Amino acid sequence: MRWGMVVDLRKCVRCYACIAACRIEHFLPIDVSWPRLVAMETGGEHPTVSTYSVRCNQCHDAPCVEVCPTGATQLRDDGIVYVDQDKCVGCRYCVIACPYQNRTFVSKDKDKGFFPGKVQTDFEKAGKELYPHTHGTTEKCNFCLERIDAGLAKGLKPGIDREATPACVNTCPAQALTFGDLDDPDSEVSRLIRENQGFQLHPEYNTDPSVYFIDGKIGTSGEAPTARPEKEAALT
Amino acid sequence: MLSYTRQTEWIDRRGLILWIAFYTGGLGGGLYLVSVFFNSLWGMFISWLIIAVIKGGAHLLYLGKPQRFWRIVSRPQSSWLARGFIFVILFVIFGAVQLMISYWLPGTAAEVAFKVLTGISALAVAVYTGFVLNTVKAVPFWNSSLLPLLFVLCGVLGGFGISVIMALNGGNIDLAAAEAGSRWLLIANALLIAIYLWRAAKRETTGKQSVMEQIRGSNAPIFWMGIVIMGIIIPLVIAFTGYAVAELPSALLVFGVACEVVGGLALRYCVLKAGAYSPLVARAE
Repeated sequence: MRWGMVVDLRKCVRCYACIAACRIEHFLPIDVSWPRLVAMETGGEHPTVSTYSVRCNQCHDAPCVEVCPTGATQLRDDGIVYVDQDKCVGCRYCVIACPYQNRTFVSKDKDKGFFPGKVQTDFEKAGKELYPHTHGTTEKCNFCLERIDAGLAKGLKPGIDREATPACVNTCPAQALTFGDLDDPDSEVSRLIRENQGFQLHPEYNTDPSVYFIDGKIGTSGEAPTARPEKEAALT
Repeated sequence: MLSYTRQTEWIDRRGLILWIAFYTGGLGGGLYLVSVFFNSLWGMFISWLIIAVIKGGAHLLYLGKPQRFWRIVSRPQSSWLARGFIFVILFVIFGAVQLMISYWLPGTAAEVAFKVLTGISALAVAVYTGFVLNTVKAVPFWNSSLLPLLFVLCGVLGGFGISVIMALNGGNIDLAAAEAGSRWLLIANALLIAIYLWRAAKRETTGKQSVMEQIRGSNAPIFWMGIVIMGIIIPLVIAFTGYAVAELPSALLVFGVACEVVGGLALRYCVLKAGAYSPLVARAE
């Protein structure tokens, strides 16, 4: 079993619902975001906007697991890469080693509160109890492993039953995100990858990501996207 | 994310502490090796202080959870950071024993044995930071087998520099030999930096981008002033003037060594600062 995700870029409407859902699910500090939305223009005279909803790729050969000096970052048998906050020393070697820049070091600067200097909101207070974030350690997306584990314990099927499926996948109104077992050839994710030529980001690093992307153009047409960094701030 | 993204964690803000730690590791390790060569107990003691106090302290200061530092030894089978931590601990332990033996029981077999052990640890401390960086495949500029060699050479060069100052202050060091060592290492260092940049420029477009950043980008003032002028040209001019004139004023030699130290610091700074990732969104092959 290897959990994986497919992001269908053709369906993404840039609503940021996945990011909001993750923020609520994990009570993320104000300046921390596990998934991100990267938007870019492709083409010349009449450019089209492509949006990449990116998150930790849960790589099968994860550089972050390899470089972690304490064993805080580990790869589970089901392919999920997670960080044990109690073991992390905050050396940030994993942040450096991730080719996808999907890790965040949580410092006090990034957790100033929604209203700095004011009383905490009820949401923040609940977050401290239910999903505490340890300053001085590294974090990243973990495919909502708590939901998966709890769901499996109840006999539910991640990717099919909402209760056992990552929050971002549940929330996506355009159904651009699909979750399932990559090792199962009959799963929805395997079918989507097979039929739509799903591709991984930066395959040249041999990290074997568990997140695949589907795009009508990139990865199938052979056309390289033309990045326009100056537009990034406006779009992301 | 769409263009080249510079790494910031290990050089900006608190990352500057790590820059000092990386430099002092090379300097301390290099100084120990040079001190063993000259059999200078003071040199060995200073190198021990540099690694145990400055480098060790800087690493602890940088960690997000310094009280858990002992956990760093957990994964030496795959992590160069864990290996480096073990090398530092070994150096501190072997070095302390060796210094005590050298002070109270000089000339014994135990002294020789501990000098060998500490020397190996010192070399490992000087070299491991190069491996910490060159194993990061995501940053093409660092992904070079020359980096560990460059860091060791730079560290030994700094060691020769400090030994020159110690010789001027009456330490048990041959000034002429220390100057000669500096001279040859300066030439080797300059050549290695040039080869490193040339090869990095040929390593993916991101590697070229990093080299351009050094030569013409925002790093250029530090590269040209720090590495080229202060780290190579000024010390070389002083070294070869000393070779021709026979005896130079002490102040000039000290100035040359100070320039070497600035050059070493600038080298580490530029290497860390120019480390960049390829754009996240790339066409799949």
